[in-house]
Amino acid sequence: MNRSKQGLLSPEQATKQVQETIKRRNKQEKRFRFYGRIAIAIALIFLVTLFATILSKGIPGFFQYYVTLDVELDRERLDPKGDLSTGSLYSGDARGVVRDALFAAVKPEGRSGKRAAGKMISSGSEERIRKFVQENPDLFGTIQPMRFALDDDIDSFLRGFIKRETPEADRRINDRVIGYVDDLNARGRISYNVSDYLFFGSASRDAEMAGIKGAFVGSLMTLAVCLVLSFPIGVATAVYLEEIAKKNRITEFIEININNLAAVPSVVFGILGLAIFIGIFGLPRSIPLIGGVVLALMTLPTIIISSRAAIRAVPPSVRDAAYGVGASRMQTIFHHVIPLALPGMLTGTIIGMAQALGETAPLLMIGMVAFIVDIPNSVMDPGTVLPVQIFMWADFAERMFIQKTSAAIIVLLAFLVGMNAFAIVLRKRLERRW
Amino acid sequence: MQKYLGIHISNEEIESDTMSKAEVHTDTVGDIYVDDARMTARKVDVFYGDKKAIDDVSLDIASKEVVSLIGPSGCGKSTFLRCLNRMNDTIDSCRVMGTIALDGQNIYDPSIDVVPLRARVGMVFQKPNPFPKSIYDNVAYGPRIHGLAADKAHLDAIVEEALQRAGLWAEVHDRLTQSGTGLSGGQQQRLCIARAIAVSPEVILMDEPCSALDPIATAKIEELINELSAEYSIVIVTHSMQQAARISQRTAYFHLGKLIEVGQTKDVFTNPLNQQTEAYISGKIG
Repeated sequence: MNRSKQGLLSPEQATKQVQETIKRRNKQEKRFRFYGRIAIAIALIFLVTLFATILSKGIPGFFQYYVTLDVELDRERLDPKGDLSTGSLYSGDARGVVRDALFAAVKPEGRSGKRAAGKMISSGSEERIRKFVQENPDLFGTIQPMRFALDDDIDSFLRGFIKRETPEADRRINDRVIGYVDDLNARGRISYNVSDYLFFGSASRDAEMAGIKGAFVGSLMTLAVCLVLSFPIGVATAVYLEEIAKKNRITEFIEININNLAAVPSVVFGILGLAIFIGIFGLPRSIPLIGGVVLALMTLPTIIISSRAAIRAVPPSVRDAAYGVGASRMQTIFHHVIPLALPGMLTGTIIGMAQALGETAPLLMIGMVAFIVDIPNSVMDPGTVLPVQIFMWADFAERMFIQKTSAAIIVLLAFLVGMNAFAIVLRKRLERRW
Repeated sequence: MQKYLGIHISNEEIESDTMSKAEVHTDTVGDIYVDDARMTARKVDVFYGDKKAIDDVSLDIASKEVVSLIGPSGCGKSTFLRCLNRMNDTIDSCRVMGTIALDGQNIYDPSIDVVPLRARVGMVFQKPNPFPKSIYDNVAYGPRIHGLAADKAHLDAIVEEALQRAGLWAEVHDRLTQSGTGLSGGQQQRLCIARAIAVSPEVILMDEPCSALDPIATAKIEELINELSAEYSIVIVTHSMQQAARISQRTAYFHLGKLIEVGQTKDVFTNPLNQQTEAYISGKIG
């Protein structure tokens, strides 16, 4: 170390000095690279754990236990008026038919035995028979093997969540029912199949019948409303602010407020929706239309901010080129700026949509948390959405709802991944070199 | 307002019309006037905010001539060029005073629409900037937005002729659907020239069109400028004095926002009247 006190170093000295510092710099770089790898590794571990937990908990939720029973399709009992109308089928004794089929299979003794056995099978079974005969009226008078969902307690028992060793008084199912189940199982009557209720069922208090179809449709409708409102408005706002508006106090004020809106807690948008759409306009509660509008308000700042960034990233040379051949401002914007900024705008939109898809809090404020069995047919029908459904199921006591909740989470994630994949494909197609 | 044979003519228009051709007092050395002026700039001042970028510039541009604007960086020659087709309008803080007239009509008159103006005064930029579209669409864009082509066949003919004149047809005629950004730098610049001439302008402004190109591509562009000057007025900003000497009939020397000297190119380069001009072209400053 022979640095002269002042002035420039001689080339030899400088070379020596550089050699000395280079070691330290290399070490620094190595250390930094190491930290980076550790950070990525930790993130990966969390991600893998998350997915492993969700998948291991959720995949069993896609299946449930069914029992196959031989059902005697007696027209007199099932369709007393003989016209296959809904009224006729509902006045029939589908419940009795199911019970008879069940009793024929398990042969319970006495009234208490029958009562215990009757609870083994899902109350949705009657509906299943009605539907079956309505679709296959020519099968009246025959005995058909039909699959019915087992009650959620039986399901939990078969999965091992309710243990045989637990004292009878502490179990949700008694020894007698366990006997029936063992008997059915031994005769191969019980099967483990993909749950049709999960995908085609709607909200239900009975865990074995609960499904996400209503929430899924609700989510689709809400997102559609949200997209239709927020994308055009957001892009138009971004284009106006970037390309047309003069930079002055007012636009600056608007800009600051848009940025602030992005940070407003989502519940606040829910209160806004409640006050304006339900309070002032008197629209019904729980409808996807209001949900979509509220989510659009929430998504707008995200779309505007990312669209503006995308517009700003369009090179000025493209605008020059367009103006240079005499394109008007509108032509420049619509022929050149927007097509080039579109991939970036779509990225922002998809991020906003993903947020909207996972949003629960503002929808609680406008009543989308209601227990709604019917699947919405339009945006004006009451409905719920996937994350709210998950939120509600997570609150229910029955053991089986844990699997249903996890399964619904997987569906939500798959929905998200699908949306993102679509966005990536769209972006790749639209992306252009310049 | 005067009513004249049923036609409304504003006083301003008459004033600007007379002013556009008037001889004005100026510090510029050499002759700023020409006989067959296509464009005339009179007492032009340009401000960026409070900063004066152009100070009292008056200059005529004749039809079918090449005028070079030379001068050190930041002297305002590009700013002046961009005033000629109002490209400076896109900059919020930019203000232009004085008169610039095209065929006797003040282009800064409030009644003038910049869109047709820019169709009449085309522009080629420093960096080749083809649209990220096909070669065909690049050239066809101008005629399309201005509705110049009667039908598809006519548009094809316009595109072909523009590319022919830009000397690019032979190289690209078999790949018109490929992206314009995939061409080499020199080809891209010629594509930009083709794009400019596709709308049949009267004047073409070129802002250092060769600064990003190699000598061979530069030679091609210069040759092209020579050919185009038979048809169009060309105003070119260049940092290469050899280029100015090779291609232009007249040369204007700018310094610190002022037009110092203007004259026949050979006079300016061999016998400059102003000391600053002489210092610059002999390489002493700038």
